[in-house]
Amino acid sequence: MDLTIPHIHLLMNHVPTVGTVAALGLLLLSLIRRNEHLLRAALEVLFVVALLTLPVYLSGVAAGSEIQELDGVAAGAISTHETAALLAFLWMQITGFFAWLALWQGRRLERLPRASVGAVVALALLTTALMGRAATIGGEIRHPEILAGPASATVASSTGWLRSAAIADFVTNYPWVWPAAEALHFLGLCLVLGVLLAVNLRILGAMKVLSFASLHRLLPWGMLGFALNLVTGMLFFIAAASQYTGNIAFLWKVIFLAVTGAHFLYLTVFSNTWALKDGAEAASLDRFVAAGGIGAWVAVIYWGRMLPFIGNAF
Amino acid sequence: MALLTWLESSGLSTWVREGETIWAFPTILTLHTFGMGLLVGCSLLIDLRVLGVGRRVALAPLRSLFGVAWGGFWLNLATGTLLFAADATKRGTDPLFMFKLVCVGVGVWTVVQIQRTVIDAPDAAAAAASSGRTLAMLSIAVWTAAVTAGRLLAYVS
Repeated sequence: MDLTIPHIHLLMNHVPTVGTVAALGLLLLSLIRRNEHLLRAALEVLFVVALLTLPVYLSGVAAGSEIQELDGVAAGAISTHETAALLAFLWMQITGFFAWLALWQGRRLERLPRASVGAVVALALLTTALMGRAATIGGEIRHPEILAGPASATVASSTGWLRSAAIADFVTNYPWVWPAAEALHFLGLCLVLGVLLAVNLRILGAMKVLSFASLHRLLPWGMLGFALNLVTGMLFFIAAASQYTGNIAFLWKVIFLAVTGAHFLYLTVFSNTWALKDGAEAASLDRFVAAGGIGAWVAVIYWGRMLPFIGNAF
Repeated sequence: MALLTWLESSGLSTWVREGETIWAFPTILTLHTFGMGLLVGCSLLIDLRVLGVGRRVALAPLRSLFGVAWGGFWLNLATGTLLFAADATKRGTDPLFMFKLVCVGVGVWTVVQIQRTVIDAPDAAAAAASSGRTLAMLSIAVWTAAVTAGRLLAYVS
């Protein structure tokens, strides 16, 4: 059996739908049992789920264009599902960012700050509802047995600015949007590389006189660059999806993006590196991970730059 | 102009521009992007620190980052020269390209100045709080302009 893009989307779409419910459950349980360790674990799970939601959304767009001509496919449901998924994706990323922020703040505190945790709980509730809605509409694309009467999804056709079509129009109708987003995308790239170099070179043994805890304060600037590039990158993807969905360079880029995201989590929460006092030498495993973190972002830049040369993007 | 035409028609320029291999234009352009990341990334981080982000990070050890930034600078001087030679008649007469070069020049000057007058100063923290602030803000502004202009070259010129 060939593993096609629709297969991959059907496999991966369980990660955000089930993942948000599981993470929310852990989150509430940790609050009821007043267990800080469990709370940290729940936030970490939420961040990882947010990270893995990116390939789910991207594969969904590719799957949609592949199956829309098939028999028994409700084409209206595809676009309604895509709009619902975009909204859920957006709130998932915001939730993941706040989960990361709580973990970052909590690294130097005994207890995670309650205001941030409260915000994450509210956001996770909202995201779970939006994911459930997106998944339900997605199920109506090719499951005639659950459709009684006319497809509910097609009846409630979507409007508003947060639709792929509206965003694509915005990016293509104004000639300044794409170049401006590109400029921001490159500045974000520099910011992420600068932060990852500073923190990881310390782990690798340069600037050893600095404690890891002092460099930990720079991480939000790296996350800012990462978020900036996620937003501008999504503008490109939504405006010209077809040049990315069949592009091998883009697949590699997304894989290394997920690795870089996981690396940010490692830098934020792992105890081995956090314990590095000024002058202390990191363990060889941590040095390996540090080199890998720089390497992952270099790979993201490489595959991004190669999109038009190895792949088919302009 | 004759010089630019000669430069553009040289064997090396033709290979960079027309060579049908991944090692010609694509690889040189990618290396130019890496160089930008190293130079601008490290410079921005140092600027942010000088402006007060992560105050507990001592300034003197950041000398290592200047080494990385210079690596990026030399890489981009080499790859930038090749990219310019490949398109010399167009770039050599393009005001946007001239603007980018000026911004890069001022950016590199801010890196040198911050290293000399802040990081290497006897009291780095005091220097960061006074003359360093202006330099750091100028540095962020010109790098933003340089990267934006460089990116725009692909669209307007």
